[in-house]
Amino acid sequence: MTETSMHAFEIRDYLRKELMPHFMCPGCGHGIALRALLWALYELDIDKNNLAIVSGIGCSGRVGAYIDANTMHVNHGRPLAYATGLKLARPDLEVIVITGDGDCLAIGGNHLIHACRRNLNLTCIMLNNEIYGMTGGQVSPTTTVDRFTTTTPFGNHEPGFDSCKLAAAAGAGLVGREITLQVPALKNLIKEGITHPGFAFLEVISDCTEIYGRKNELGESPEMMLSQKASTRSDVYGNSVDQPFRPNAFETGVLTRNDRPEYADAYKQHMGRIMAASN
Amino acid sequence: MSTSTSAAVKREARLDTAVAEPTNVLIVGVGGQGVITVSKILAQLCLQNKLKVKQSEIHGMAKRGGAVFSHVRFGSEVYSPTIPLGQADILLALEWAEGLRWLSYLNPDSGTFISDTQMIIPPFSCRDRERGATSNYVHRTLDQVKQHVPNAFAVDATGMATELGNPRTANTVLLGMLSTALDFTVEDWQAIIAQSVPPKTLQVNQKAFVLGREWIQSDKHIAAREHVEEATPPAAPMVDNVVVDLEITEAWCKGCDICVKMCPERCLVLNSNEIVELTDPDACTGCRLCEWLCPDFAIAVHVQKIETTVAEHR
Ligand SMILES: Cc1ncc(C[n+]2csc(CCOP(=O)(O)OP(=O)(O)O)c2C)c(N)n1
Ligand code: SF4
Ligand code: SF4
Ligand code: SF4
Ligand SMILES: [Mg+2]
Repeated sequence: MTETSMHAFEIRDYLRKELMPHFMCPGCGHGIALRALLWALYELDIDKNNLAIVSGIGCSGRVGAYIDANTMHVNHGRPLAYATGLKLARPDLEVIVITGDGDCLAIGGNHLIHACRRNLNLTCIMLNNEIYGMTGGQVSPTTTVDRFTTTTPFGNHEPGFDSCKLAAAAGAGLVGREITLQVPALKNLIKEGITHPGFAFLEVISDCTEIYGRKNELGESPEMMLSQKASTRSDVYGNSVDQPFRPNAFETGVLTRNDRPEYADAYKQHMGRIMAASN
Repeated sequence: MSTSTSAAVKREARLDTAVAEPTNVLIVGVGGQGVITVSKILAQLCLQNKLKVKQSEIHGMAKRGGAVFSHVRFGSEVYSPTIPLGQADILLALEWAEGLRWLSYLNPDSGTFISDTQMIIPPFSCRDRERGATSNYVHRTLDQVKQHVPNAFAVDATGMATELGNPRTANTVLLGMLSTALDFTVEDWQAIIAQSVPPKTLQVNQKAFVLGREWIQSDKHIAAREHVEEATPPAAPMVDNVVVDLEITEAWCKGCDICVKMCPERCLVLNSNEIVELTDPDACTGCRLCEWLCPDFAIAVHVQKIETTVAEHR
């Protein structure tokens, strides 16, 4: 008889315990995403003192406040701008941005496309719940057509962004997507994003049960998560399962990857050449 | 009652012209083993011997490693392509559990059961969620089978084929054994094998055929020599027995119901204060789903793994 204990990841080691329980509503998917992130940090053995979390405004932005590391909670739509400055000043830090669909794609949309274009070594985790959760449920750039929000009382008629396609087209080094239900897969995707040398954009399909779910009668969190699972194609099966039957299902996992030069490296080389020429 | 009389007459007429019952060979295994190849070889052989033959098969539905079976019926006349229950003359199994699965098709008075002892454990169907459970792969031994089957042979054909240098010829080893139970000549068998296998593997396939044929003829199975010993599926593999401790932080639980609805064992409930509670600790397998999916980190699953043998476990 031999005994082994497994799984040494203790989430409490990464939380500001004095702030717990966190402020999020019961069943909010953002909490699950937070676990996956902390688990990834544990598995990558990232030193908390060497870690900087930058988050914007929204329920998603508040997630960063619970992480026991260096955290910045900055103004709405701007976490990528702050993170860019921080990473350029302190390239030794692991800089991770936590943002929401409203924060990242609406007010912060321009920052996103330029962050992708620059390809600076940041990891941007966008928690997409298709709504402005924090401010009571206004329409966002990812709200599904025909869904109800406080600003679309007759149903939303605007088509949404496919944020992964947007980020890939703008040049992000790595683009991926996962749902909160697949916690280990999400953890692995976040690890891919963090270890990728360029800009990584990760869309986490989260759920706002309390406002979006209720307004649209999408059920409780388990139902919402299961229907998200049904609307995505699993990375575990190479995104191939059901292809003929659900052609519009979202793919998950790492979707695109490129090896364009990383911004800080490219900048250093560029400056090196100028300095050499001027000497 | 003229109608019933005419029906009776017809039935009698049919009996009068009844041809000899066909010979029924049922070949079973899992995807990738060569069940279809074996049955095609047999069917071709029958055709070359001017017999009527019908072969029908089902391969494992869209799942690698899924069940495959093939019915081969031959004789002077064959009507139905499928073998009725209890009427297979020979059941040739390329995999042990698949063989046992089809035993009810074997003729209980005269049937011959020939099976590889190879065990291919399906990744999904044998998963038992009970804590510390062993795989529920069939535990029956050859001796138990022999009590119900007139002629039963179990052989490590895969092991024999591996010794020959190509484990994939296990089906040809079994074909050699099958050949002893049918009336075709060795030359015919060898010729049809030569037509059916890739030229590169011809030699090893021919050797495999001879090996299988000789194994049955040499009474090795009766003398309980090496292969028969191996024929009893090995018992008592090591299993992981686990001790699970669910640590619930009540102050953090918001009663969202995620863990309750997602627990595969349904062993969590919300109590009257809308706080999670473990109601059935024995049912909990330590799968961690509740821990992973709780948005409020209110559950921590502590798993201690203890390796025990099956016997200890029981
Ligand atoms: C400059 C500015 N404009 C507007 C707001 C109001 N505001 C706060 S959060 C938010 C939307 C957040 O939505 P999202 O990023 O999707 O986060 P969620 O709450 O859904 O996680 C808005 C518009 C603000 N705080 N600052
Ligand atoms: S409002 Fe929505 S997004 Fe915000 S915490 Fe509640 S459930 Fe989550
Ligand atoms: S670990 Fe949690 S989800 Fe898994 S069986 Fe136990 S209580 Fe249920
Ligand atoms: S998932 Fe967490 S918060 Fe929700 S009921 Fe279970 S323990 Fe409580
Ligand atoms: Mg949002």
